[in-house]
Amino acid sequence: MLTAVRRQLRVCMLSVKYNIMREMINPVTFVTNIIFMMLNNATILVQWFILFRLRDDIGGYTMKEVMLLWGLTAASFGLSRVLFARAFSLSELIVSGKLDSYLVQPKNVLLSVMTSATNISAIGDFLYGLVLLFACGFNVGRFFLFLLFTGTGTVIITAFALILGSLSFWFVRMEMFGNQMVSGMISFMTYPDGIFRGVSRFLVYFVIPVGMAVYHPVHIMTEFDAGMFLEVTGYAVFLMIAAVIVFYRGLKRYSSSSLMEARM
Amino acid sequence: MYAIKAEDLSKTFRVKVKEKGMKGSVRAILHPQVKEIQAVDNVSFSVEEGEMLAFIGPNGAGKSTTIKMLTGILYPDSGKVDVLGIDPTKNRKQLAYCIGTVFGQKEQLWTHLTPYDNFRFFGAIYDLTDKETEMRIAELKECFELGAFINTPVRNLSLGQRIRCELVASLIHRPRVLFLDEPTIGLDPVVKENIRELIHQMNRDYHTTIFLTSHDVGDIEKLCRRIIIVNAGQIVLDDSMEHLKKCYLEKENVHSSPLSLEDIIMDIYRAERRATGE
Repeated sequence: MLTAVRRQLRVCMLSVKYNIMREMINPVTFVTNIIFMMLNNATILVQWFILFRLRDDIGGYTMKEVMLLWGLTAASFGLSRVLFARAFSLSELIVSGKLDSYLVQPKNVLLSVMTSATNISAIGDFLYGLVLLFACGFNVGRFFLFLLFTGTGTVIITAFALILGSLSFWFVRMEMFGNQMVSGMISFMTYPDGIFRGVSRFLVYFVIPVGMAVYHPVHIMTEFDAGMFLEVTGYAVFLMIAAVIVFYRGLKRYSSSSLMEARM
Repeated sequence: MYAIKAEDLSKTFRVKVKEKGMKGSVRAILHPQVKEIQAVDNVSFSVEEGEMLAFIGPNGAGKSTTIKMLTGILYPDSGKVDVLGIDPTKNRKQLAYCIGTVFGQKEQLWTHLTPYDNFRFFGAIYDLTDKETEMRIAELKECFELGAFINTPVRNLSLGQRIRCELVASLIHRPRVLFLDEPTIGLDPVVKENIRELIHQMNRDYHTTIFLTSHDVGDIEKLCRRIIIVNAGQIVLDDSMEHLKKCYLEKENVHSSPLSLEDIIMDIYRAERRATGE
């Protein structure tokens, strides 16, 4: 069992390595993509600085908490897109019958598919997240919690994208809906949860899993709460299992295709 | 001993039907209609270990769907599949260690990597150690004459060189059964001949079972000793190449020149089309 896991991880790591090697063919594009993504993220934070000059508290958050929220969002989303970028374009693979080459390999289909592409600008997101964490002031406990919640956030975001992508096994033209839901999730992740009331609060905690991905973690990093901590880790495991079940249920309905294609 | 055994294999696809124009699109939203297409219909056959079989038929006959069910890509709606004693629907991963696949229309190599890096990746996929992978690459490099371009990125290779590399990638783990779906598509006659010789060599040297689908009569004639023709999802002929040619020899009397295998296959396709009313 352990050997199988080790071998699977070896293939996944090779896959990620080869994806990054592909992007590094043009070093100038590679570096500028990363730097400009960081700058792009930084410009939005300026708006928050201006808002906090007008008010001390927005939705129960101080500037430091907003920075933590942005840092965790950028790091989780970034890591998810660096390691598992294909989870965000799963619909396209299903609809155009591009899962064949993964299905004839003696490895876990889902992991092989997810790690078969990478998004280089997402490295900029991930690094930006770490920069913001250090900008909040270094604290060993918070640093490790941040890394842990980046992990749970990555799992939650990836699992959510996978569930939406897997719907294409059942319904046609689901990719637009999936993209909108993922974009919606990222937008919600960058605002303090205190500003959401009623339906929108229900949405961010129970429909789009933003609450467990970033809001609870930010609250825990501000003031540790063991109950919340268990909720977040439990939810990440639950969503991951749900995504795996949905994907493999759907895979039985996969119909492939005879389109000509190349692995780019 | 059987390498492949299929019993009453069936597969149906559900396809949405839409009438023409904007009205048809709106109607399709309000009253969606679905048509069932029987891609494979109660197909049964077996292939002996070490055999070279041509599985052919016109476009849409169900060849690729059958291969995809045999390799574990698609789940059959009904029937049983057994490849080397393994059920692809239940033990897909276990089966993948024993089979190799080359889909001429689908590339499995990473185009930005060199063939060498690709083979290393495939070695890892099949759990070979670095030493085993290196030995296998050295062996196949010589056999497939890859020396001149093994360190050139795949995207810069010619189609013939790429197909040779695709074959090597699918052979890195010494598969016992090799599924080839139109492996010579788009190749020039010299390269085609080269690829055929390599496939023949694999069968001769390693007793690899070859399951081939192709529209190229040359592939079929030069490689296979047995032929299965499918049409509209059903087997319409399962015969040895020798017997098939012998039976059709009688027809030579009514034709001005001797019938080639291509003529025979065309005759069968036409007769089937007339019978199914296509």
